[in-house]
Amino acid sequence: MACQLSPAWQRKAVSPGRMEKIRDRFLSDTPETGADTEACQVIPFLLDNPGLDWVTSNLCEVLTERGHDSTLYPLPDTEEPQAPLTDSLREQAGNAEFCLLPTTSAETVLAHAFDHLVLLVPANLNAVLAAYQRIKLLAEQAHTPEIGIVLVGPRDQHAAWRFFRKLAVGTLRYLDVPLLNLGFLPEQVIPEHAPHDHHRNNFLTRISERLLRSGFYSTLPYGKITQANV
Amino acid sequence: MKLCTRTTNTIDADELRTLLIDAANELTGGESRLLEARLPWDGYPILLADAEYHPVLVSFDPINSQAALLNGLRATEQVATALPWLNQVYDALQKQLRPPRLMVVSYDPPPGAEALLAGCPDLKLFGYKIVRIRQEAGLLLEPVVTGRDACSDAAPEPEAPLATRQERPRTGPVALPTLSDEEKNYFRQL
Repeated sequence: MACQLSPAWQRKAVSPGRMEKIRDRFLSDTPETGADTEACQVIPFLLDNPGLDWVTSNLCEVLTERGHDSTLYPLPDTEEPQAPLTDSLREQAGNAEFCLLPTTSAETVLAHAFDHLVLLVPANLNAVLAAYQRIKLLAEQAHTPEIGIVLVGPRDQHAAWRFFRKLAVGTLRYLDVPLLNLGFLPEQVIPEHAPHDHHRNNFLTRISERLLRSGFYSTLPYGKITQANV
Repeated sequence: MKLCTRTTNTIDADELRTLLIDAANELTGGESRLLEARLPWDGYPILLADAEYHPVLVSFDPINSQAALLNGLRATEQVATALPWLNQVYDALQKQLRPPRLMVVSYDPPPGAEALLAGCPDLKLFGYKIVRIRQEAGLLLEPVVTGRDACSDAAPEPEAPLATRQERPRTGPVALPTLSDEEKNYFRQL
């Protein structure tokens, strides 16, 4: 019996350069200096559409409520950053511990070459496919970032898992890119359905806990880092 | 939460049925529609319509490959007999009265698989494995092929052009990468 796996589950036969990419990433990690007071943790978000900006703004509030002073800095669309990101962040973030960087532009994400990236993906098949295409674009670069997924608007936890699984198995199978499941925001808590749903914060809190617990952010020491090594 | 996979042999018939319905497109080789998830015959096979409006019977058994095959053959006969009625009931068949195709899914290939496949062009046999991702199960389907098919399968696949792995220039708008047919098919349904 010839073993021909179903495309849904067949892993890529070869992944040239994968180990080199992992090794380079670890070798290029900046050693901790202990100068935390002069550092800002950035969390870039790639939004499927501008209508999802409420997620990042609410998440910012939740992080602050939980004692992690956070600020929001929507990334200006750019393909060639003209000024170091840290310069802008220093003005914007002040003494904030976390700076959330939402953008809808994959080009902007490419330009900044982030180490980590959170994708906000609406729970429908078209959006999952669009997210896959964006991940494929990122995977074609020399350094693929760690990618986390937040599903927005699934009916329930089971539906969220099915969408995540579809995307995660696809990226693992075809791109050799693992994804981190950061959680979901069910349809009953999104603003269109419930403008003031108090459960929304519970789900956002879970997402923030996963972000913090898994260290899903990049550290920017002010004045020392440029976009090249964000 | 990292994605962790492991294979397992244990699955019950209903769970396998659900996974097969999820994998219907892979089984039929294209877009398919579910007509009956549980036909009331021996083995309770699944009835699908493929992209060309053929009825497709999926007969399966988690362990007993002979039972899957015999139940499938019996159901094929019944479907063939009831074809005019089926075409009246199921719009997806487009009243084309096409003969049914049979897919038999079992853990091991049934005995005589080679001779069966050589003599029955409308029959396809699949082995399966179950992959667990945490508490969720996924399906690995392995087509059973004849020696001749295996030879043709062994031909080396053309390598993807190197350009697809090269870093894109940073000037100008970045176009999203195109998807292969395999990728498009994979994302066609949840």
